[in-house]
Amino acid sequence: MRLSFVANGVRRELDIDPTARLVDVLRLDLGLTGTKEGCGEGECGACTVLVDNVAVNSCLLLAVQVRGKRILTVEGLARDGEMDVLQQHFIGHGAVQCGFCSPGMLLSAKALLLANPHPSEAEIRTALAGNLCRCTGYAAIVAAVAAAGETMATARAACASEPSGEGAST
Amino acid sequence: MSARPVPGDLKVVGRDHPIADASVKVTGGLVYATDMELPNMLHAKLLLSTVPHGRIIRIDTSEAVALPGVVAVFSHENAPVKTYSRYRMLPGQNSCPEDETLFAQTVRFAGDRVAAVVAVNARIAGDAVHLIHVEYEELPVLLTAEESLQEGAPRLHPAGNLLHEFDELVGEASFSAAGAVEVTTTVTTPRVHHAALEPHTCLADYDESGKLTIWSPTQSVFGARTVVADLFRLNYNQVRVIKVPMGGSFGGKQEFILEPVTAFMAMRTRRPVRLVLDREECIFATMVRGATASRVSLTVSVDGALRSLDVDTLFDAGAYATSSIDYAAMMAHKLTRLYRVPRYHHHGRVAYTTTPVAGGCRAYGAPEIVAAMEIAMDQVARELAMDPVELRLRNLVHPLDVDPLSGMSLGDARVRQCLTEGAKAFGWSERFRAARGGGRYRRGVGVACGAHKNGILSADFPDFSTMTLKMNEDGSVALIASLHEVGCGSLTVMKLIVAEELGISPETVSVTEADSDLTPYDFGCYGSRVTYVCGAAAYSTALALKERLLEAAAEVMLRPPHELRVGDGRVETREGASESLSFGALVMAAKTQLGEDVIVQHTHRATSNPGAYSVQFAEVLVDCASGLTRVTDFLAVGDVGQAINRSMVEGQFLGAIQMGIGFALCEEVGLDDGGRPAPGGFKNYHVVNAPDMPDVRVLLVEHDGDDGPYGAKSVGEIATVPTAPAVVNAMNHALGTTLTELPVTPERVLAALSRGEGEA
Repeated sequence: MRLSFVANGVRRELDIDPTARLVDVLRLDLGLTGTKEGCGEGECGACTVLVDNVAVNSCLLLAVQVRGKRILTVEGLARDGEMDVLQQHFIGHGAVQCGFCSPGMLLSAKALLLANPHPSEAEIRTALAGNLCRCTGYAAIVAAVAAAGETMATARAACASEPSGEGAST
Repeated sequence: MSARPVPGDLKVVGRDHPIADASVKVTGGLVYATDMELPNMLHAKLLLSTVPHGRIIRIDTSEAVALPGVVAVFSHENAPVKTYSRYRMLPGQNSCPEDETLFAQTVRFAGDRVAAVVAVNARIAGDAVHLIHVEYEELPVLLTAEESLQEGAPRLHPAGNLLHEFDELVGEASFSAAGAVEVTTTVTTPRVHHAALEPHTCLADYDESGKLTIWSPTQSVFGARTVVADLFRLNYNQVRVIKVPMGGSFGGKQEFILEPVTAFMAMRTRRPVRLVLDREECIFATMVRGATASRVSLTVSVDGALRSLDVDTLFDAGAYATSSIDYAAMMAHKLTRLYRVPRYHHHGRVAYTTTPVAGGCRAYGAPEIVAAMEIAMDQVARELAMDPVELRLRNLVHPLDVDPLSGMSLGDARVRQCLTEGAKAFGWSERFRAARGGGRYRRGVGVACGAHKNGILSADFPDFSTMTLKMNEDGSVALIASLHEVGCGSLTVMKLIVAEELGISPETVSVTEADSDLTPYDFGCYGSRVTYVCGAAAYSTALALKERLLEAAAEVMLRPPHELRVGDGRVETREGASESLSFGALVMAAKTQLGEDVIVQHTHRATSNPGAYSVQFAEVLVDCASGLTRVTDFLAVGDVGQAINRSMVEGQFLGAIQMGIGFALCEEVGLDDGGRPAPGGFKNYHVVNAPDMPDVRVLLVEHDGDDGPYGAKSVGEIATVPTAPAVVNAMNHALGTTLTELPVTPERVLAALSRGEGEA
């Protein structure tokens, strides 16, 4: 069947098996292999992607369920060749070891910061509760997400204090 | 976090560095084996036994074969029935019983390989396995090692169910028996899943020239080559094993579980074949940390000095031997590295059962036996009304002690320093004495000490590593070595060592992973040998390259070598550095003027295997109504010698503690009464997630008293060794119980409380 959705800002038109899972369509049909499959039952979070800015396990979703929606995968986090602040802080905080959980962690964190720009540590931990990591003990990941939130807040503050074109004319 | 600032003369070693491939990982660009695509690649799915023990009477694959898209179906009926050991690293290696076949005719656990389908895509392969019909004659199950060793138990393998039995005895008890205290306790530890996020996978191809190529996230390409080549009677040069990125292992990918069967399918179909297991299969059908029961009997004088230690362990090997004989031996070889004891006796038995196969798992042997010992030590402390820290200080080994069992020096063993500094940082004395409170919620603190090793050197077996270092025409270098990055940054460690020695930026050092055709021999990434032995090889190979640079510079600069020295990225005259040549210019001159290359190969042979140590402190809060335990604070102290990459050393501890808390509280590969695994992968196997992790502080004890690079010692395995007993001791402190059965689930807590254990 035909399916159309937006993946990482690009409209995709595909012919898919109606029973295909989203994770398979992303990985096999679109070649977006950054999304990982760690359990196939929605328990580990490695396959997390954003559907209209909400974090979901792509192994539990049928691809047809994202018809007309906007999908963000790890490949779409960087913009114009520049990494997302989350990616930068994951690197800087030593939040990456084997890397298999990293794409899913990043997207759960992205969904959190989109919805809640100033999360507390407890809120960060709760947002990552469905993403398992066996390497890091989570501490560096939680610190990276907190730092990314702060960086984004600083950037917003800087934007707000800069006189905009209209404001400056008065 | 460190006890010692970075020594001033170190430029890159000892500081924080992101893991070398972090940017590729956070952008989703790293190609793991599950992401690889080869032209004409086929996909395989295994059919695993649903019966824990039985003979296959009939197997009907006709429907599966007929499914469009299916290329081949294999079972014992059309595959070699030669037995092999999937653990053997070296031809002729001892303690590797050959008891496994590619496909079982007699299944010995629920998860045994019965058949495999190869198809044009994974979905068809997955559908086709359901079309294979197997009829079993069911046989009796043996779910525990104890059951398996009883008179009249059915034999699982021709040689019987007792796979191995051994005794180790050193010293004599020095008894001033008057007033001596004796404590005997039995501690059991569960089967544990490694839970690397990347599932087990392997890819193989076989070409018309007879060359077999295997891409595997393995911990030892040469071991994989040995097992596969020996099984199929190929020359070692006909089998090429390439290490590919690995999404975690923790020992779970040390043995060659999927390589033989994937290679076989590629050889038969003459096409590339990839096999990927799902999570449930990873849990039950690869391997588990083996279940153990250890009875520890301690005789201690009234002042707390250990007089005698008797240990009796029973190890559940599961259905096949693999590494279990070595595993059990490891259990015997930890305690004399930790405590001074005049007499030590260890009796060990290893038994086959009809349960998942036991095999290497992070520090195998150490977390199990240290849990038993450290829980027993707390019982002694209670018996003597002595502070548990005091009791341990009375008995821990000292620097330069010799391990009486191995006869080898423990090196600059700083476990005592770990304990004293840790107790102070944790505020142990006050927190241990503080009232635990009555009522529903009880708080307690616990401590445990752990010992491990640095490599595989023993009195009768060497450890070594060979590396090649070549310099490019711009002065950058390539370290060509058989490294196996498991995800914790081994490649980064090697980069930092080479960069430090040559005075160049780590970005100008590239490091290879293992490829059995291209890189020099190395045993593999296991046994806490990578930083200590391979790191020392990288260090000494860099020194050899410096010698080579001086030799070439002497010819190019027309000066005797003794007038020259290697500075940062250049060779210069010793006096005033009046003349110098950058590495790049020197390599170009060597090539174009001398017709020579700047490349060295070096073998580093380990001459020591000191103790690795960690002491850990836990605080827990136990809910007496629900039995739930929460770890509320944690401190880990590590005798690491020198942190090479500080943030990653800390990361190793943090991850190891996550694993250890799970070992203590919630992780167990469960089987029902019939020996069948609980269905569902992570649904029924609980690893600790972000909200349940406590704040963890890491304190490093650093010194340069050992032979590793810059004094560095192993970290990744020792870091998890004392975690579980620290947590269990904290629970026993909180509740006044003698909990000894891991994992200490809420059910077990409630059972202990309802037995009247504990203090109201």
